[in-house]
Amino acid sequence: MVEGNRIELTEDEAELYDRQIRLWGLESQKRLRAAKVLVIGMSGLGAEVTKNIVLAGVKSLTMMDGSVATKEDLCSQFFIPHSELGKNRAEASVERAQQLNPMVEVKAVPHYPEKFADEPDFYTKFDIVCATRLDLPTYLKINTICRNANVKFFCADVFGTFGYHFSDLQNHEYAEEETKQIAKPVLSSHTPNKRAKMEKEAVKVTVKKTDKFVPLQAVVDMDWKNEENKKKLNEMDSSFILSMILLSFRSKQKRDPSPATREEDIKLLQSIRDEFLTDKSVPLEKVPDECFRTVFAEVSPSCAVVGGVLAQEIIKVVSQKGAPHNNLFLFNPLSSCGTVVSLGNIPSQNSKQEPVDLIDLDDD
Amino acid sequence: MAAEIPGVFESSLQDFVKKSKVLVVGAGGIGCEILKNLVLTGFSDIEIIDLDTIDVSNLNRQFLFQKQHVGKSKAVVARESALKFNPSVSIKAYHASIISPDFGVSFFKQFQVVLNALDNRAARNHVNRMCLAADIPLLESGTAGYEGQVELIKKGMTKCYECDLKTASKTYPGCTIRNTPSEPIHCIVWAKHLFNQLFGEDDPDEDVSPDTADPEASGKAGDTALNTEANDTGNVIRVSTRTWAQSCNYDPQKLFDKLFHDDIKYLLSMSNLWKTRRPPTPLVSTELPDAAAGSSKEEDSGLKDQRCWSIAECYTVFANSCKQLREQFALLKEGDHLVWDKDDKYAMDFVAACANIRAHIFGITQNSRFQIKSMAGNIIPAIATTNAVIAGLVVLHALRILENKLETCVPVYLRLKPNHKGHVIVPEKVFESPNPKCYVCSAKREVIVKIDIERMTVKQFEEIVLKKALNMHAPDVTLDGQGVVLISSEEGETTSNNAKTLKELGLQDGSVIVADDFLQDYELRISIVHKAYVKDQPEYEVIAAAEDLVPKPIQEEEKKNGSKNEDDNVMQVDLENETNDVRKRKSDSDEIPTKKAKVDNQDNGYADDIIVL
Ligand SMILES: [Zn+2]
Repeated sequence: MVEGNRIELTEDEAELYDRQIRLWGLESQKRLRAAKVLVIGMSGLGAEVTKNIVLAGVKSLTMMDGSVATKEDLCSQFFIPHSELGKNRAEASVERAQQLNPMVEVKAVPHYPEKFADEPDFYTKFDIVCATRLDLPTYLKINTICRNANVKFFCADVFGTFGYHFSDLQNHEYAEEETKQIAKPVLSSHTPNKRAKMEKEAVKVTVKKTDKFVPLQAVVDMDWKNEENKKKLNEMDSSFILSMILLSFRSKQKRDPSPATREEDIKLLQSIRDEFLTDKSVPLEKVPDECFRTVFAEVSPSCAVVGGVLAQEIIKVVSQKGAPHNNLFLFNPLSSCGTVVSLGNIPSQNSKQEPVDLIDLDDD
Repeated sequence: MAAEIPGVFESSLQDFVKKSKVLVVGAGGIGCEILKNLVLTGFSDIEIIDLDTIDVSNLNRQFLFQKQHVGKSKAVVARESALKFNPSVSIKAYHASIISPDFGVSFFKQFQVVLNALDNRAARNHVNRMCLAADIPLLESGTAGYEGQVELIKKGMTKCYECDLKTASKTYPGCTIRNTPSEPIHCIVWAKHLFNQLFGEDDPDEDVSPDTADPEASGKAGDTALNTEANDTGNVIRVSTRTWAQSCNYDPQKLFDKLFHDDIKYLLSMSNLWKTRRPPTPLVSTELPDAAAGSSKEEDSGLKDQRCWSIAECYTVFANSCKQLREQFALLKEGDHLVWDKDDKYAMDFVAACANIRAHIFGITQNSRFQIKSMAGNIIPAIATTNAVIAGLVVLHALRILENKLETCVPVYLRLKPNHKGHVIVPEKVFESPNPKCYVCSAKREVIVKIDIERMTVKQFEEIVLKKALNMHAPDVTLDGQGVVLISSEEGETTSNNAKTLKELGLQDGSVIVADDFLQDYELRISIVHKAYVKDQPEYEVIAAAEDLVPKPIQEEEKKNGSKNEDDNVMQVDLENETNDVRKRKSDSDEIPTKKAKVDNQDNGYADDIIVL
């Protein structure tokens, strides 16, 4: 996906990225440094993802947001100085984001994504698009544009202390290290005439895999009346339904629940839940009232958790090393649990394995 | 600031956050992230402490620091950067060690919760004891690569940090290092020992010359080599390596010829060693191979650090680093020595070159300087994303502690891959209860120490056993029931005892002594078991409970590591634990019941420690 990995790292880069190169290897670092990432929505979560990606050393990071910074942003948006409240969020974030790593091109686009709805070329310039804090119809639109442009798509939100991220990587090729037991002759110069003894040895081999992903639409279209899906819904972490309820609130109210109207908004959320769950004959206790008491603003430590997991997924995808989460990550702060679930009829012929092409794969 | 906006939190939590006072111990990768989360959440009274200064290799993850801050105090710069997120909070920064009488029990008692973001075991042990003594909840955390963990430590409710004895440093048999290396790490350990022999602290256990007392070498074949030269300690009699090197002014060619030709020839004469092994090839400094080993890999990178050097190149690096280190050494005061540091260019060059030359001689795979640095410096790579996730979980736990919901603060692990339930952030189902035999948090604080009382001096006992192994700060030690003071924390009071052996001060096999550490508010009874010292064996052994005195079968871990019970002839390798070490990690919380049983069956239950080399 990301080309340009033949360009060598400079001594300065090697020094700055020393520790992470020790973890993910030189080849991954070269891929990272060729990657262009777009983050849409510069609230607390957007800032966390941006921080981690800029620190990792991509080629460029573009922050897009049409809205202005509000007091609520100060709960988690650490790029925006207090003096910049009322200014455009993306533009107000550039200076501090850039300070994190002078080797990355940091840019701001002070617009809502709607501006580029008829300019798919805008998205083609990126390797990764990570959309946050939009309503569901906009996520679906951008996902479609990204699919057509062959750009990897993520969307994510933090609601208070809850959060999720979704990935549509289409067909994603990557290398993965596996441990295999192979029989190996034991070499001994002492017994040249005897038949070599065979010994089992654990060997790490790198295999190339391709995973298939589905668009967000496939999750939205899931028939929850279908017995199998219904069972899944019942077993799934409640933060999935909670996220659906909050996305529904966002679409209906054209805003997120507000601390200023806390009790009224909790009532609204409860009624959305009641409708949603009754319709699918899921008991209401699945999403207890307690959940709604902690869905206001974006709380910093949860932005750090979801933004950290999501940024690591982006790094994984760019460096094409390791199996990405396919396709939904849910964070439930009440149980301290982070779960990966697969929704939307992901093709079962996943993980097509191929023999290792030595030139193609990094082994460092 | 979430707590400053009514309605973000429940009003009770909002109040707790605004009024609480918290301590962050460590301003590194996790510490920077925790500090950011605390300030944004609305904590307004924060103290942060770190002894360290900022290095370039921190900047890829310790995001409160930038290039212009390199060399400055982490705590001070972290405070300045975090204040920009909210200029109205109070952050007090200490550029200091947490292990200090300045931070006693009353200091710890000021806080509602203590958040550890440390990178070494000694400080973790100390903060553990301070929080137990002050009865303040402690959130312990750590990361290693893609994985990490958070756990609450609360007196009487959970395990303490020292309830499980930790795995000792990885060790290698002395004769493997000196005579028969078979892996790159053996050559690296040898090269670090060589550095110390030439420029560093002189440690007789780090001899680098051929070991003629190698049990394998005995027999007729070795006789000619052994005849008159060996003494009973196994070392070839001659002037010390350093004295000899100094006498030839660290001439690189002379050093090379001795280390990589003469000594190797000597090893070859111990022919028993080479019956089933590939014999080493002595090198002549004027005829060194010019091609790099496995040079097909070379075009991977143009960075010198990443390439495998040819032996001729190794020689150039060796000669240059010898020269530079000699000059550094000459600048020191008489009796002073260099300390090996992976971040010192020439110290690292020296070890990389020597390790590779030795590897070549023994037909062992050579490595790049980059790879050798990982192994020699024991670097556990840390990354921004893992630190961010763990710090987020720490502060979420801290909020629950303020709400007095301690029972919900179960240990949480971050995994690289989802477990069978799809969890990548995995909470434990239950707390592990305190170890009733723990010598730190149980009511009965006792250990058994096996030492040679006729050999070990009081000073050695204080430094090696009480401070290093048992993590005390400044103990007062008396012989139980007899009022004899062996060690006093008051300066000068017991200096006359220092050079005496324990036996000379009246200790016998079975004696019980009491060590009391005022700073840690910690008293420990120590039963002494006399055990005659054996060369190359550890000088002491700490045993947590009497029943563990009975020999146990070899641990699983040792079998896995393939150390094949090579007797106890081990050599200590310093484990620096550069970054935040993950103390222990359960692969899956759902497996707790079986894991627990397994752990209990083992000697001290520390087999689930991760050692990352
Ligand atoms: Zn304990």
